[in-house]
Amino acid sequence: MQKTELLERSQRPLPMSLLLMAAVAVHLPLLLMKLPLKSYDTNLHIFFASHYLHHWWDPWNPKWYAGFSQTTYPPLPQQWIAVVSHLMGLEMAYMAVQMAAILLLVVGVYRFAKLWVSPRAASFAALACVFLGAESFLVYSAGQLGTTAAAPLYLNALPFLYEWVRRGSGRSFIKAVALFTAAAAAHHATLLFGSFFFALPVLALAYFDREDDSERVAAGAFIARTVTIVVVVSAAIAVVLLPFWIALIHYPVTQTPIPHPSRANYILSPQWGMNYFVVPYGALILALPFIFWRGSSVARLRPLLLGFWVAFLLGLGGTTPVGPILLGRAFNVLTMERFSYWASLLALPIVGALAMELCARFRMRAAVALSILAAFTCALAAGWTTYHPPDAENVDVGPVAAWLNRDGHDQYRYVTLGFGNKIARLARLTDASSVDGEWNSGRMLPELMRYGGGALTSSKGFHEAGLDALRAMLMHADHYGLKWVFVRDQYYDPLLAFAGWRPVDHLNDGTITVWSKDGVPPAQPLNAPQMPPHWQGVMWGICPFGSSIVAILVLLIPEKRRRAAEERYPVMRDGELGLGRMVS
Amino acid sequence: MSDGSGNRGGLLAVVLMAATIVFVVIGTMWPTKAALAYTGGQGFASFSSTPQAAVRNLGDEIRVEAWQKAYDGLANKAQFTEQEFEHDLKGYYPSLRTYATLDHFEVFPLHATDNDAEVRLKLYWSSVVGIMESTRDLHVVRSGDQWKAEWPLEKKPVVPPQVIPVNYLRWDVIYRGAGDDWGAQDVDAPHVRIVDMRPVQRAEGVVVLGELLNEDVVPAFVSVNATLIGKNQKAIASEGSFDKISHLLLPKQVTPFLINFPNASLADVSSVRMTPFSTLVPASADPVIEIDNEKLNPAPDASLTGQVIDQSGQVVNVAHVLGTFYDSTGHLVWVADEYLDHALLPQTPEPFNIHIPEDLARQISSERTIVSTYSSGGAA
Repeated sequence: MQKTELLERSQRPLPMSLLLMAAVAVHLPLLLMKLPLKSYDTNLHIFFASHYLHHWWDPWNPKWYAGFSQTTYPPLPQQWIAVVSHLMGLEMAYMAVQMAAILLLVVGVYRFAKLWVSPRAASFAALACVFLGAESFLVYSAGQLGTTAAAPLYLNALPFLYEWVRRGSGRSFIKAVALFTAAAAAHHATLLFGSFFFALPVLALAYFDREDDSERVAAGAFIARTVTIVVVVSAAIAVVLLPFWIALIHYPVTQTPIPHPSRANYILSPQWGMNYFVVPYGALILALPFIFWRGSSVARLRPLLLGFWVAFLLGLGGTTPVGPILLGRAFNVLTMERFSYWASLLALPIVGALAMELCARFRMRAAVALSILAAFTCALAAGWTTYHPPDAENVDVGPVAAWLNRDGHDQYRYVTLGFGNKIARLARLTDASSVDGEWNSGRMLPELMRYGGGALTSSKGFHEAGLDALRAMLMHADHYGLKWVFVRDQYYDPLLAFAGWRPVDHLNDGTITVWSKDGVPPAQPLNAPQMPPHWQGVMWGICPFGSSIVAILVLLIPEKRRRAAEERYPVMRDGELGLGRMVS
Repeated sequence: MSDGSGNRGGLLAVVLMAATIVFVVIGTMWPTKAALAYTGGQGFASFSSTPQAAVRNLGDEIRVEAWQKAYDGLANKAQFTEQEFEHDLKGYYPSLRTYATLDHFEVFPLHATDNDAEVRLKLYWSSVVGIMESTRDLHVVRSGDQWKAEWPLEKKPVVPPQVIPVNYLRWDVIYRGAGDDWGAQDVDAPHVRIVDMRPVQRAEGVVVLGELLNEDVVPAFVSVNATLIGKNQKAIASEGSFDKISHLLLPKQVTPFLINFPNASLADVSSVRMTPFSTLVPASADPVIEIDNEKLNPAPDASLTGQVIDQSGQVVNVAHVLGTFYDSTGHLVWVADEYLDHALLPQTPEPFNIHIPEDLARQISSERTIVSTYSSGGAA
C-alpha cells in the first residue's frame, strides 16, 4: 500500500506552486537588479510606455523622427507598464510586467505541453522554461518584451483552441478568442507566425485525436469549429488592432532593409553563431537528437516536431537558405532570434518528457546533471549581456536631458551620435524632439528610409548606408529645426566641422560635445499624414488594453469538470518509464 | 510502436536531420547576401586559384579588417611588419582613412603570364564625409597552385626634427559668461557679402554656385542658404551649402559655395533668395597650408591637381580642398572639392586631385583653390 502511494506520488506532476516559485527565485532577483535595462530594446518599450503614461489617448509621439505613430506597434505590454508605473515608476513597472510574462509562460508551457505529453512531463517542461536560454536571452539581452509577453498568452490560448475544436466547448471558445486577441495586442509577429508554428500543430493534434475516446468528432464539425474560431479571432484582432492595420496598409514597410546579425551565417560568422545559437539554445543543443528521434517516433508528436523544425531552421538565420526562401522580403525585415525562441518553446514538451524519463531512470544523478545544465543555460543567457553588451558603455544621459530642458533649448530638435540604445532613455527624460529613433518601422522621414541604416546615433555601425542617412539628415537640419548634435564619438567630428556645425558646450566631463548650427529656425510640428485621427487614438487606448482585461475576466469563468478520471494520474509499476500520452 | 510507426518515425527523424544538415551545407557553401554582409563577402572557402581571386580574397580580408590573415597571405610579407601593412592602409596618423571602413572594391587585371600578373585593386573607403577612393597596382606571383599578392607598401613619411617658428594672427572672443553657451552674443554678426551667385541646371538638378566674402575685420563662421522661388512666387525648395563651403572665414577671405537642389528644374525657377549667416568666432590663421604645383588638366579626365603642404608644426588630421573655376571673362563656372584621406604632416606635400565635369572643363581658364582643415579637438 505504501509502495503504491509512493509510486502514485512519483507520477504526479510537479506542483504549479513549485514551478512558479522556481520562476520567481530565478528571475525576480535579476529583474529587481533591472538587468533588462542593459538589453537592446528594453528602453524602447519603456519609452513607448512613457508616452502612454502621459498621452494615453494620443498615439502620435513627437519625440522621435520629428513625430511618429505608436499605432505601428501593438501596445499591450507597454500600456500595462504605463498603468503599473503609477505604483512603482516606469522602470520597475517594466520589470513587473516582464515578471508577469515569465510566470504566465510557466503556466502556458505547462498547459501547452500537457496537450502532447503526460502531466508530469508537462510539469518538467514548465520547469525547463524557467531556465530556457532563449527566454533569458530575449528578456536580458534582446529586451523583446512584446515577444516574451505574447508567447505566454498564445500558449495559454492553445489548450482552449484544442478543447473547442475537439469537444466544442463554448467556454473554451470564448477563452481562446480572448487570449488570442490579447496575444495579438501584445505582439503581431507572434500571432502571425504562432499560427503556423503553434496553432497548426495543435489543430493537427486535435484532428488526430478526434476518434480517440467516446467524444468522437466528425470531420465536418472539426472543420466548422476551426473555421469559426479563425473567423472570430481574425475579426476580433482586426477590430482591436484596427489603427495598426490602417497604418500598415497605408504605410507599409518599404524602406531599404537594415542589416541585422541574426541573418548572418552562424558558421561563417561564429561570433554571431555564439550569440544567436549557442546562447539561446544552451544545453538544449544536447537534446536536439532526442527531440528529432522522439518527435518522429511518436505519431501524435509529429505535428509538434514539424513546427519545431521549421522554426528551428528559420532561427538559424542566414546559416540555411530556408529563411530567405520561406519569408521572402520579410527575411530582411524580421530578426531571427524570435524563431529560436519559438523553436525552444515548441521543443519543451519533448524535452520535458526526456527530463522526466531521465529522472525516472537515473534518479538523483539525472536530477543533478539536468539541474547543472539548466542552471548553466540560464546563467549564460542572462549573463550574456555582460560579456556581449549591446552598448559599449553605460552612457549617463541625464545631463544631456537637463541641458535640453533648460534655456529654451527644447525649441529645437536634436540628434545624438554614439549614444547607442540610450536614446530611448534620453527621449523619455527630455521634452525636446529628435529626428532619430529606434523604432525603424515607425519612421517616415525620407532621409532615414532611403539608405538602409538604422538609428542615426549608430550611423558608423551601418557604414555607408548609415553615414549617407546621417549626411542627408544634417543637410536638411533647417527643415526639421535640427539645431543640436550631441556627440560622444569623435569619429563624427570632421563631418560636423566641415558641414557648418560648431561645438558650443561640453557635458559629462567633456565626454559629450554639444554641436550647434546657426540660423536654424525653431522646430515646427510636422503635419504628417501618418498622424492618427482622434477616433483611432481612442480605439488604441481602449481596445488593446481592454482585450487583456476581457481575457482576465473570461479566465475567471470556471471550466467544466469533464471527467473525474482526468484528474487522476496513471500509476506505473517499478522501472516503467513515464511515457504517458506519448505512446502512440 | 511495434506496428511500424517506430520505423517510419526513425526514417522521418533521419530525413529531417539530414535535410537540416543539407540546408546548413548549402547555406554555408553558397551564403545568402545577408549572410555575406557579415563575412566581408567571403564564403566558406576562398581559393586563390587565379591572380584576380588572390587579390579579391585580399580585398575581402581588408574589408573585414582581418589584418593578420591578409598579411599572412602576402607574398612579400617579409619586407614589412603586419602593423606597417595595416598603417599603410589606415594611415600612420589619425585621419579620415583611420576610421574609414572598406565599403567595396574592384579588381582589374592589367597583365598576366603563367607565373606572375599585374592586378589593379580599387578600394572604396566609407568615411564619415563620404566614399573615398584609392588605387593600388599589385604584383601577383604564383606559389604552387595558389597565387599570392605582393603589397606595394608606401613607406611612412619621416619628418626630420626641426624647429618651426610660429607667427600667426589669432582672434579671441570674450563671452559674457558661462551662461552664454549657445551663441546669444552681445556683438553684431560679422559683415559678410555674397559677391557672386549663379544657378545652373545640371543632370541631377539645379546647382547654385557663388562666392562669399568676409568684409569684416573679425573672423566669421559662415554658411549660406538658398531658396528657389517659383514662377508663382512661392518657395520651391530651400537648401544649405553643407560642406561645399569653407565655413571659417578670416577677415577679407573669400570662400566659394555650392548648393544642390536635387530633382529641381531651373525652368521652374523665377528667382533665388540667398541667405548668408555669419557668427563671430575665435580663430587663428594657423595652420598655414600652402598650395603648390597647381595644374588644370584638360578633358578627358579633367581635373585640378596639385599639392598641399602644411607649413605649420602640427599635424592636420583632415584637409578639405575647395576649387573655384572661372571662364576667360572671370565668371564663376563651377565649384568642386576633395577631402584628403591622409593626415597632413608638417612640411610634407600631399597630392590632391579635384575632378571637373567634362562638359564644363572646356569653359574653364582659371581657378582659385582654398583649403580648410580639421585637427582633432578643433573645428574646421
